[in-house]
Amino acid sequence: MSANTVAITAEQYNYDIVKKFAIMAMVWGLLGMSAGVYIASELAFPFLNFDIAEITFGRLRPVHTSLVIFGFGGSALLGTSYYVVQRTCQARLWGGKWLPEFTFWGWQLSIGIGVVLYMMGYTQAREYAEFVWPVDLGILVTWVAYATVFFMTIRKRSQPHIYVALWFYLAFILGTAVLHIFNNLAVPVAWNSFESYSLFSGVQDAMTQWWYGHNAVGTILTIAFLGMMYYFLPKQAERPIYSYRLSIVHFWALTFLYMWVGGHHLLWTSLPDWVGSVASAFSILLLLPSWGGMINGIMTLSGAWEKLRSDPIMLFMITAMAFYGMSTFEGPMMSLKSVNALSHYTDWTIGHVHSGALGWVAMITIGSFYHMVPRLWGVKLYSTKLVFTHFWIATVGIVLYIVSMWVAGIGQGLMLRAFDQYGNLAYTFVETVTFMHIPYVVRAVGGALFLSGMALMAYNLYMTVWGARREVVPVAGQAAVAATRV
Amino acid sequence: MSQSPENKKGQVETTGHVWDGDLREYNNPLPRWWLWGFYGTIIFAVVYWILYPAWPYADTYTKGISTVSFQSPVIGPDGKPEKGADGQPKMETKTEHWNSRALFYQEMQSSPSAVAQKEWLAKVKDMSFEQIAANPDTLNFARSMGHGLFGDHCAACHGTGGQGHLAMNPEGSYPNLADNAWIHGSSYEKIVSAITNGIQGNMPAFGALYKGEKLTDLAQYVLSLSHQPGVNEEAANRGKASFATCAGCHGANGQGNQAIGAPNLTDQAWAFVDVPGAKNYDDKLKLVEGVIDHGLQHQMPKFGDRLSPEQIRLLAVYVRQLGGT
Repeated sequence: MSANTVAITAEQYNYDIVKKFAIMAMVWGLLGMSAGVYIASELAFPFLNFDIAEITFGRLRPVHTSLVIFGFGGSALLGTSYYVVQRTCQARLWGGKWLPEFTFWGWQLSIGIGVVLYMMGYTQAREYAEFVWPVDLGILVTWVAYATVFFMTIRKRSQPHIYVALWFYLAFILGTAVLHIFNNLAVPVAWNSFESYSLFSGVQDAMTQWWYGHNAVGTILTIAFLGMMYYFLPKQAERPIYSYRLSIVHFWALTFLYMWVGGHHLLWTSLPDWVGSVASAFSILLLLPSWGGMINGIMTLSGAWEKLRSDPIMLFMITAMAFYGMSTFEGPMMSLKSVNALSHYTDWTIGHVHSGALGWVAMITIGSFYHMVPRLWGVKLYSTKLVFTHFWIATVGIVLYIVSMWVAGIGQGLMLRAFDQYGNLAYTFVETVTFMHIPYVVRAVGGALFLSGMALMAYNLYMTVWGARREVVPVAGQAAVAATRV
Repeated sequence: MSQSPENKKGQVETTGHVWDGDLREYNNPLPRWWLWGFYGTIIFAVVYWILYPAWPYADTYTKGISTVSFQSPVIGPDGKPEKGADGQPKMETKTEHWNSRALFYQEMQSSPSAVAQKEWLAKVKDMSFEQIAANPDTLNFARSMGHGLFGDHCAACHGTGGQGHLAMNPEGSYPNLADNAWIHGSSYEKIVSAITNGIQGNMPAFGALYKGEKLTDLAQYVLSLSHQPGVNEEAANRGKASFATCAGCHGANGQGNQAIGAPNLTDQAWAFVDVPGAKNYDDKLKLVEGVIDHGLQHQMPKFGDRLSPEQIRLLAVYVRQLGGT
């Protein structure tokens, strides 16, 4: 009987590809966050650069960001989107065995090659788009294949309606394609060179970069992970989504408004003032549409709050929604010209990004993985207790991270604009750096805590799957025996 | 079809769609506070766009109704700034639509700190170095301004407190400005000239002239000038003859010559190799031998094109009071 179910599920859905992405998300996550903890330590203790070019802050920093955003986040998104699209369309993944397999290898190889090239010194020097042009082409081909697999699977669905999570995944796929293509338009120096020149120049180039940069946050780190939330949160809560109407309104508001706000990264620069005003006001307009997702997530649990006491996975998801709400409030505030004059070029920005990246993106992914991985392998989670431990380590780590960056960033911002009674600047730049030493140490500790939580998760999931191997093999054997009998 | 176990009486119905076994959606109305909040941000955005430059159209953009006023030079019919009776450029109040450049002018002209700084600069304008240093108020002003200038322009080499950096190799060493030794002299004029024009500090290499024992003997003699414990008096006496070559710059008794920046060799202040920090006498000997053998090439960049004469004057007062005698 149970052998029968296993056999049917295995045939109905392509879980193999989801498993692969899930494993690589964990691998890149651990590597990327380790790089993060290391560069945070380099800032606190510069001797850690050891004068080795490959591991200096400048080279490791894009390794960290690319591995966590595209390696960890990207693999988690491709994996969960394949899981969600199959289950909510009740259709096996389109493209047979090899096209999804191609998207897996294309994605992993592009990222792996890209970050090794960073360490060798090859970069486009565009934040979050540092990959050199051949790697960009690899990503492009992979992305087209991924989009095709995803769209075609939706086309052959055996469900009349397209579930809300899929709208968000669709917007993510479309948006990321547009951003990736336009920001990486460049003329290679030679066909056999990694170097290239951007198609744009001067302030237009900067604007294109930050149109991309902010929407990497928008379409990948916000919209795509909302897709993840819309499937896994109600699944784990076993409750209906709070409001279908709200999901429609905030989906369209988000997708319309996000593309306008990139200019707020370039306030008080040579970017024309009017571009900045448009971006600042659109950033404020984004606040409530962003919160629509938070309301839908948190209110879905309304009436079943007692789950927070017994279910640490739910705890991860709801805390993710809380951090999401906090950082989508902080962001619009920081994009106002007056606040930005204080916050820009300080670690407040770094703290803001990490309250989103650790608090929202990582926590919703962690919650979703704890839900999905046991179901992929058809087993029970190895230890719920460890999930509780993970939750508290991660939460303390995030709080240390964010608070230390508020202190460092706001402190430095205030020091840089302080005047004494003579009308002279009260502090030199190096004095602000000295001031930030202790917050930097605290930040590295916070990051290390978060990383150790991830290691705990990797152990827990490994034991879950390893347990699955032990139990499933004989069952599969029985199925094979049963099959030969028939 | 919309009957779910949770769907109690009086609660909103689900949409009726079901995915993946149990995924459903209630159709709750938009929360009131959310909707009004959204309308509120729309009003905020519109007001923001009315106040500030915002929307592009044709080849220009909406300027917004917010304005900024600042002082701007009067431009004459010949396209050049007009000069008033006092020879200074004539200024007029200019009002522009809000823009960050006008705001910058305005702040640099009329913010409280800009005004305070201007007043203090006017106060010290016609004072001599000695007068500035003698008056506690103006000295504090010079310290305040010098602190910032020194921190941003000098501290990278000379340290935040001007304590310099003494390493085992000349390339990593930067002179201490906070001690009593002044390699180029402690007069304000000398300090101003050093900051304005930079310094080319060269000592020729004497490796070709002195080798082996001769080199060691000379180094012994140099160390004997500052009475380093462990000097071999016999060797030092032998080296004394060779010191004639050095005396041209460092003086017959090694007391140095500030006019050409030749350091005093008889005091305990070392500027280019860390003799006091050497582990033992042999290491000290090696450090001095190295300097004689290879010479010194030390450059300080010029700041005359980066700092205004007034800034350099005040920085000189600051640097002078860092050190003694």
